[in-house]
Parts: sequence; C-alpha cells; structure tokens
Amino acid sequence: MSTPTTTAQLAAIPGAARGRSAAAPVGKHDANRKRLARLGWTFSTPAFLVVGAFTIFPIGFSIAMSISHVNVSGSGFSLSGVTGSNYNTLVHAAQWRYALGFTVVYTIITVLVEIVLGTCIALVLERLTKGRGLMMALLLVPWSMITVISAELWGYIYDASYGVLDQIFSGIGLGHPVILGTSTSAIVAMMVADAWKTTPFVAIIVLAGLVMLPDELYEAAEVDGASSWTAFWRIAFPLLRPTIALAVLFRILQAFGLFDLPFVLTQGGPGYSTTSLAVLGYNTMFQDLDFGPGAAVATSTAVLVLIGCLLFLRVFKAQVGEEES
Amino acid sequence: MARSRRRVGWHRYFNGLYLSTALVAVFVLLPIYWLVVTSFKTPGAVGSSPPQYFPNPFSLVNYKVAFQQNSFGHYIVNSAIVAVISTVLVLSIGTLAGYALGRLPMRGKFPILVILLMISVFPAVAVVAPLYLLLRDIGWLNSYQALIFPYTAFNLPFAIWILRNYMLGIAREMEETARIDGASPLRTVWSIILPQAMPGLFTAGIFCFTACWTEFLMALTFNSSNNFRTIPVGIALFGSQFTVPYGTIFAASVVAVVPIAVIVLVFRKSVVSGLTAGAVKG
Repeated sequence: MSTPTTTAQLAAIPGAARGRSAAAPVGKHDANRKRLARLGWTFSTPAFLVVGAFTIFPIGFSIAMSISHVNVSGSGFSLSGVTGSNYNTLVHAAQWRYALGFTVVYTIITVLVEIVLGTCIALVLERLTKGRGLMMALLLVPWSMITVISAELWGYIYDASYGVLDQIFSGIGLGHPVILGTSTSAIVAMMVADAWKTTPFVAIIVLAGLVMLPDELYEAAEVDGASSWTAFWRIAFPLLRPTIALAVLFRILQAFGLFDLPFVLTQGGPGYSTTSLAVLGYNTMFQDLDFGPGAAVATSTAVLVLIGCLLFLRVFKAQVGEEES
Repeated sequence: MARSRRRVGWHRYFNGLYLSTALVAVFVLLPIYWLVVTSFKTPGAVGSSPPQYFPNPFSLVNYKVAFQQNSFGHYIVNSAIVAVISTVLVLSIGTLAGYALGRLPMRGKFPILVILLMISVFPAVAVVAPLYLLLRDIGWLNSYQALIFPYTAFNLPFAIWILRNYMLGIAREMEETARIDGASPLRTVWSIILPQAMPGLFTAGIFCFTACWTEFLMALTFNSSNNFRTIPVGIALFGSQFTVPYGTIFAASVVAVVPIAVIVLVFRKSVVSGLTAGAVKG
C-alpha cells in the first residue's frame, strides 16, 4: 500500500516522468507515447467537462456579470452593456470596505492563532507514547463537524439568557456581558468557535509531519547538547516548514470564504460587524437581489483568492526547487 | 508509530504532558458534550438558567419534534442521496483523470494540476450567483441534480490530486504486462490500477462525502424548498428569527453528526493521510 509520503513526491510532478522517457529509445516508442497521450486526454475529458461547466464557466460568467447591468426578472435574466458601475458602487460602499478589512484581519488572526495552537498541540501529542491514535481520532471530530451545527452550538453556549458561558462569567464576577451583542466580543466569540473547529485540522497535519521526521536528527541534536527549544526551532521547524506553509495557505484561502459561521452565529451582526465578504456577497445577491454589485463582490473576493493562490504557487515552487537541489 | 522521544526533553517547555493532553481533550470534547446533553433535555430545561449540566429528566422529546413535527428525516434522505451520488461520480470520473494525469504522458500536466488545485480552494460564493441564474434558467432549482453536479465539480479536483498521488506510487511492470497481453486501457485501469489505488479511493471518497454532507452555501441558495433541503440548510432554517429551538436543532445535529463521525473515526488512517497529502502536496 503506498501511502503518500512527504515532500518527496512533491518533486515527482511532470519533470521526472519526462526525464525517464527521454532516455528510452525513440521510434516505435514515440508512436506508443502519442497513443498513450491521446488516451490520457480521453480519460480526463469527463473530469474536465464537469469541472469546466460547473466551476470555470461560472467564474467567467461571474466576471461578466460584475461588469454588466444585470436585469433579473421572474422568468430569466439578461446582461446588457459593459459598465464599471458595479465596482464603482463597491469601492464607495463603506460596507464593502468594512467587509474586506474584516475578512482580512479575521483571516490573519484566526490562521495565526490556529497555527500556533495547532503546532503546540501536535508537539504535545507527539510525545505521547500511549493514546496518540485516540487523540488523533478525537481531533477529527470537530474537523468533520457540519459548520452550521457548530455555529448553532456556539450560539447556544454564548446565549445571553441561558448560555453556559454567561453562567461562568457571572460566577467569576464578570457580570452578564451580552457576548454576541457588541462588535468586538462577537468577533472574538466567532474566532473562538472557528478555532475550535479548525485548530484540530492544523494539529493533525503538523503531527503527521512530526511523526515522519527521522529520530536520528534529535539524537544528533541531543549529542550536541542543544536545548529542546533549539532542537525544535532549528531542526524540526525547518523540516516542517513545507507542511506548515501549505497548511497556512490552505487555511487562509478557506478562511477567506468565511460564510457558514457568521451567517448562522451572528447573521453578520451586530450591525454589520461580522459581515464577511462572502456574507456580503450573498446578502447583496439573494436578499437585495442586486446581482451586478453582488457579482462584483464575489469576483473581487475571487481575485484576492487568486492572488493568494499565485503566492501559494511561488511558495510551492520554491519548495519543489529546494527539494530537488 | 508510538515512539518515544523523551530524550529531546521538550517536557521542559511542555510541562505535564498528560495535563496538556487532557486540556486538549477537554477543549475538544466539552462543546460536543454540551451538544449531546442538551439534545436529551426537556424543551423547558434547554432554556433554563442556570443550565442543567446533566439532563434531568432525560427526555427524547426533542428527537420526536425533529423527526415528527419537522421533516428532519427527509433532510437526511436528501443529504444522503446528494452525497452518495456525488461521491460515486467523483470517484469514477476522478479515477480516470487521476490515472491519466499520474501515469500517461500528457502534455501540459503541470498547468492542469495547478488549475485543479486552485479550483479546489476557490470560494463557493464566487460561483453561486451565476450557477443560481443558470440553474434557474434550465429549471433545475430545487432538485437533486442542482447540488450533485456542482458538488461533483468542486470535489473532483482534490480527488484527482489524491488519486494521482497514489497512482504515481504503483509499479509500472504490471501495467506493461497487461498491455502486452492485449488488455484494453479501461480493463487495465479496472483490474490492475484500481485494486492498488484502493487506499487513495477510500481517502478521496471520505473527503468528498464529508464535503457534500457539510456544504451549506450552495444548498441554501439552490435548494431552499422544504422538499429538497439538505441537513445543514434544514438545521439553519429551523425555527424563526426570534426563537431558536435549540433542543430540536441539537437532537437533529446529533443524528446528523453521528454517521460522519463514525465514518471518520473508523477510517481515521485514510483521513489523516488525505489531510497530510492535501497539506503537503496541495
């Protein structure tokens, strides 16, 4: 059974295969290659068709909507004229600027907290000799939880009149703060709920990376008299960097699409203090039925994600390069 | 797996290994405990202050309300239909594409893989509006296919990545032998590649199923009629704007979370390998 190993296979993207076949005799082999390449396209066509029709085409369509006047009637819709007015509306809307800032700050803080906490948890669990499997299994439960459910659950915990947290706060003399009632505490409360669900994801990834590191490294460090902090920071961390970096990027891109949690837990409120870009886009399109500006929100979010992806790619490529050198 | 690296002495910094472990466990488990316990309280006790830390009396009323007064059973059926069909589609289409991208000499593999990678992390909000209008145009709103096709499309890229990575590791000899013996390409995939790629198929399947089971935005937008609601939409739309029937919600939640938790726990090795494959290789 070949379980995917670490970054070794990361380098095994096209280049390697090409290298192998270049060394093979040409002629008959070449014809065979062509036949196989054709077969490859035939085999991947269904996948490309489905992915193209339901993801790439809508993305293009969304861009078209964002630069047109969109008229939606009971029976259908039409696009007319090219216009920059949707984006103009966006840039001048305080709500969009707030949502953008909120989404960025929220993403940075939650991802940072999750990475640090997740790494700490992984370091603790890695030292367990017994029950590590059990703890891993436990960590998978929040990960597999339906976000809507965890949002409802935290809403109940935070409830101002019968929430268990209110009980705890008043028990330790903090009075009865309405947790979801003010912007700052609502944002923090949402971050806690988010961290509960996604920190385990980070912990599992880092733990899996830690377990794969060879023991000899630590023994060498110990012989050299390195402190345990140095051992982690100088030896384990650099080796884990690819794992952590890609986990970070994955989480950033996910966090940028933040929707379920604010939609259920805070409905974007109080005011619009927890309105993320995705919630704003949804509200604009499906509550205000403003498809043009809504598409502009969606497209601008997508562009930001795309920029994130390209940065991701740079990191990714740099790492492949590092592996090969 | 269980090796001790006590020598490194991180315990100086993480004092009380078991205490820290217990803290993690408590942090993870307490909210889940609260979810389960609340679902067994009487509707009155759900809203009592101070809260009951243990259901007294133990009651199944919330479950009855969820299934008899609300059509929660129906939502489960909807979720299952959508998730199972999408997963089957993803695995069958994804195996062929994963095989092609992993083992056949196609040009332009790298850009294709990169585009797939980007799609797999693309925020759904970027496509819901156009998809909504298009689905409305062809009269697919409030139908199973309104979710099955987008779910298949959005989960295919990650599945292809996982499957491709597994297939890279399969020895070439058997495939060559099969080809020389005159087996058709499809037959080769079916009887040589597929059995060896089973763990990958498993991992991809679990991921796809979980993603479909938990997806909210598209389900909310495309299938809002009561007949086609999936579990997350049903739970989010329980009650009104002014009262949130937590008891009913949590009873439904326990039923919704149990199957996926069992699947994930039983197959945790595949899930972990998939998560790390995802993180390490994209």
